[in-house]
Formats: sequence, C-alpha cells, structure tokens
Amino acid sequence: MIAQEFFLLLLLLGLFAGILSGIPAMLAIAGAPLVTAAIASLFGVFDLSFLKFFPARVWGIMSNSLLMAVPLFVLMGVLLERARLAENMLTVLARMMGGSARGMGLSVLLFSAMIAAATGIIGATIVMLVLVSLKPMLEAGVPPRRASGLICASGTLGQIIPPSIILVLLGDQIGNTYLEAQQQAGNFAPLPVSVADLFAGALIPGLILVALYALYLTVVMRPARQAAKPPSPPRVHPREVIFTFLPPMLLILSVLGSILAGVATATEAAGLGAVGALLMAAFATTENRGVRTLLAAAGLAAFALVALRAAGIGRTATDSAAGLFAIVAVALIAVGTLAAALKLWRSGLLQPSLSETMKISGMVFGIVIAASLLALVFRGFGGDRLVMELMRSLPGDQMGALLVIMLVVFLLGFILEAVEIIYIVVPLMGPAILGTDISPVWFGVLLAMNLQTSFLTPPFGFALFYFRSVAPRSITTGDIYRGVAPFVVLQLAALATLVAIPELATWLPSLIFG
Amino acid sequence: MRGLFLNIAALLDRITRAACMVAVLMLVAAVLTIVVLRYGFGVGYIGLQDFANYAFAILLALSVPVCLAQGGHVRVEVISERMGPSYLRVADAVALVLFLIPAFGLLIWAYWPELRYAWQIREASIETGGLPGLYLVKTTLPIAAGLTIVQGIAAVLRGEPGAGASS
Repeated sequence: MIAQEFFLLLLLLGLFAGILSGIPAMLAIAGAPLVTAAIASLFGVFDLSFLKFFPARVWGIMSNSLLMAVPLFVLMGVLLERARLAENMLTVLARMMGGSARGMGLSVLLFSAMIAAATGIIGATIVMLVLVSLKPMLEAGVPPRRASGLICASGTLGQIIPPSIILVLLGDQIGNTYLEAQQQAGNFAPLPVSVADLFAGALIPGLILVALYALYLTVVMRPARQAAKPPSPPRVHPREVIFTFLPPMLLILSVLGSILAGVATATEAAGLGAVGALLMAAFATTENRGVRTLLAAAGLAAFALVALRAAGIGRTATDSAAGLFAIVAVALIAVGTLAAALKLWRSGLLQPSLSETMKISGMVFGIVIAASLLALVFRGFGGDRLVMELMRSLPGDQMGALLVIMLVVFLLGFILEAVEIIYIVVPLMGPAILGTDISPVWFGVLLAMNLQTSFLTPPFGFALFYFRSVAPRSITTGDIYRGVAPFVVLQLAALATLVAIPELATWLPSLIFG
Repeated sequence: MRGLFLNIAALLDRITRAACMVAVLMLVAAVLTIVVLRYGFGVGYIGLQDFANYAFAILLALSVPVCLAQGGHVRVEVISERMGPSYLRVADAVALVLFLIPAFGLLIWAYWPELRYAWQIREASIETGGLPGLYLVKTTLPIAAGLTIVQGIAAVLRGEPGAGASS
C-alpha cells in the first residue's frame, strides 16, 4: 500500500516536471504515467497487463458521438473569424456606441459576450481582440491599463458563455463520472447530465459576469473624466447594422436556442452552426447578387427547418403543405451549402479553415487520449480509492472536498489548459463530489467559472500570456497585471455568489428540462 | 538517410492531411443530412448515423499526427522560453524516446489482438441495419499511432521543435 502511494507521488511529480519542461503537454500526460508504471512493475507494484486496456479506451473516445460537437464548433468559429465577420461586427458596434471611451469599452465587452460562441478554447479570442480592438480603444481614450484588463477578461468569457467547447468537454466528463459515482454510491438510476444541462446552467452565471463587467466599466469610465470629446464618427446606417449583426446573431441564437429548446443535440446544433458559418463566410466573400440570394435563402431555409421542428410539425407526410415546404427547404440548403463550399474553396478560404480545424481538434483530442492513459494508470495504482479516502477525511464533508477541488483547479489553471484540467481533475477527483447529492450542473458551472478566473489571475494566467504575446511593448507587464486586477475581483465576487446561490446555475436547467 | 526519412514523413503528412480533411467534410455533410432529414421529414437512418460516427473516428485519430506535424500541440513555455533553443531540442528528443514512442507503440501493440479479431469477422457496426466496415475504421487507430511516431521522429530530426507551437 505504501509502495503504491510512493509511486503515485512519483507519477504526479513526473507529470508536473514533464509538463513544465516545455515538451508538448500531451506527451507528458501520456508518458509520465507510462514510465512510472514500467518502473513500478519492476518492483512488482504495478500489473502491466492493466495497460492493455489503453487502446480500448482510445477507441471509446473515437466512438464517443458527444465529442463530435468539438470539431464542428471549432470549424464554425474558425470560419467566422477567417471571413472577418467578427471583426466587422466590432467596427460597426464601436461606431454605434459613438466613439467615446466608455462606449468603446462597452462595445468590446458586448462583442466578446456575443461571439463567445465562436471562440476556440485557446487564446484565439484574445489574439483577435488585441488585433481588432486595442488600437481603437486606445484612440478613443481608454487608458492602456484598463484596455488590457478588459481584453484579457472579455477574452475568457468564451469559456463560460454557452455554446462553449469547454462546456461540451465538461459535459462529457461530468456526465460519465456522475453516472459511475452515483451507481457506486448505490443510486442505480441517476438522472443523466447532458451538455444541454450545462449550457442552460452556465447561461445565467455567464450573463451575470457580463453585467458585472459592464457595471464596472460604466462606473469607472465616466465621460466627465475625458479631456476632450473625440470627433463624432460617421453615422451608422441602420441597414449596415442589420446586415452585420443579424446573420451572426441568428446563427448563435439558433445554435444555442435549438439546444436549450431540446430540439437539437449539441452535435446537431454544432453541425448546423458550422454550415451556417459556411454560408455566411461565402456570403461575405462574394459580390455576385445571384449567389448572395441563394446563400441567404439557404440560411433562411435552415432556420425555418429548425423552427418547423421546434413547432413539432416535422413529421408530416410529403404531400402536405409542411412536407412540401420541407422539400423546398432541403433542396435550398443542399444547393446553398454546396455553392458556399465551392465558393470558399476557390477563394482559398476553406482549405486554411479546415487545416486550422484539424490542428485545434488534434490538440484537444491528443490531450483527451493522453489523459485516458493517465486515468488508467492512476486507477492501476489504486489512486481513485486514495483520493476518495483523502476527501472523506477532510473536515466539512462535501463542502471541504469541493473547496479542495476548486483550489486544485484554480492552481492547475496556472500551468495547464482547460482541456487538460477537465480530463485530469474530473475523473480523478470528481467522484468525491459527484457521488453525493450535490448538483452536478452546479459543480460543472463552478468548475468552468473557476477555470476562467484562474486563466485571468496574475502572474500566471493564460489569458495574460496570450495578451502579452501580441500586445505592443509599450504596455508593460505591470500594466496588464494592474488592469486585470479589478476583473479578478469581479470574478471572485461572481464565484462567491454562485457558491452561495446554487440556484443561479440549477434553476434554468430544471425549468427547461424538468 | 535523414533526408529520405524527412521526405517520406512529409509525403505521409500530406496524405494524412488530405484524408483528415475529407473526414471533416464528410462529418459536416453527414451531420447536416441527418439534421435535415430528421427535422424536415422526421426520418433517421442508422447507416447515416454510422457514417457520421466513422467520419468522426477517422478525423479524431488522424488529427493527432496532423497536429504534431504542424507543431500544434500545446506546450507550457514558462521555463523553456528562458532556456536556449538547444534545450528544447534535447527535451523533445528525450520526450520522443521516453514518452511518444512507448505510448503510441503501446496503442499499436496492445490493440493487435482485438484488431485481428475485428478483421477475422469483418466486424460491422453493432447497430442492426448499420454500416459494414467497422474493422477498417478501427484500423485507423494503429495507423494514426504509427503516423504520430513517424511525425514525432521527423520533428526531432528536423531539429526545429516548437515551430508554430502554442495557440
């Protein structure tokens, strides 16, 4: 028993040394347990035949249809970004807000909250925000410090505001672990936790964060403080507003709405989102009126089809009005999607988008695969039992365990990306919480918000690194730290509120899904 | 010898990327078709669902070597960015021998018995009315593991670790 604990400790040390050494994290996460297991087997502490289950676990990941949503959401985001749709939104928004410092700050925040859906999991949003919004903000008179803090904080919103990839991954892990832990605790018919539950659960806490940020910006950036009023920018034509905002908003709302309304699974919604983004990207790159009409019609047809389904009249015979309508809609979608794909392929936009999608998917799945080996070896050493015992011996029962997990996640957030943390912490430490009466949705949303806070916290927060890597040198690292500090305080306040009032996360899912 | 290996690795990478790209497109097309048929006409086909599953399985497996060849796997650079470039080259070589080859080699070696069985019975989808050819999809797992090893060796031979790393 002592020997096993010794090797578990060795495993964890090796894991962190490996990750910090700068080699791809995937290799450290898969390799450290493997080497530890090999050494331990020499002392007869580890049964190497355990490792034979590794390929079956990887095959389990390959055939997990929930994860299918990940590459589809990634593709949606990459397309929206590459076609500069997001960038245009921000420019128009900034002009609508009148070009004042406060208006500029608020529009960056609003924009980040809206495109949270379209963001990847790694600093892509922050890089984009810096490129698109830093200069306009500084020109509008936002102090560099505040602009830095705002970009870092807004960039992390994509983690918690649904539909976020992080929530899909959390849903996968929490769903599995919850089922297992509940059965072990003697509850053989637990209600399954779905990605939709987490999306619904994260919505209100996410919006609370946005509201807190907005309140802070409104208070600290009073117009009176401004020295001179900037020249008022050219007026924005309503047509322009509608054309810039309506399509992306419709896309994101229908993706999120169809999941929350229980019409679509996360994968179906992600597929629709990817196709919608494809249509919009093609629309933005073509000038041809005929093609544009076709693309717009296809987009509307897809939207109508979802509406048809939501209204519950999808199961009609083909000779009825609704059936005929469906046939026309399907034909439009098919032709429109093909035309969009061809158009984007020829203009050279589709290939790099697909490349990027493969790369990001490979990054995510590399870690998922590696973490499955880590979990396997961890269990081979009896680590799951050990963690359970440790958690039980903590004071304060479940709350003590929850506090410890939150602290571990927060600290891990300094050195690891969200995917790694989710796939390491939830299966290894999660059972202590998920085997109890604590709401798994609340737990999941807490984890997501905690991760987001951690990524923002100086001096190691990931968001700050990404910001540093693209920001001009004139903004010092000290500026970034000081600028982000108020947002960290807001995050902690929101986190504390969520701990005190679990209903913020559990109310909406129970209202929608019962 | 080194040049030849790098050329072969580059060629394999191009093939892998093409296959992976086809898998992404197939996945999008399959999911769209499923959604359209279900929402519009209330029908669903198990074969189509299987097709989406197959496309995803292949995409997932192949995306790992594709990402590795582009240096796209996340690294934590807190320490390594303070060391010289030769440090990361050594670290990557050690990681290759100690971590990458054993882990992905295990994936090939330990999967062999099951794969042989899948080929023997020409395993099909477990769903009734599902697609045949599951054994072929399963075969992509060891192939992807082999490709990952090849791309890992190539990256170390090229001696430019971390090229394009992070984000």
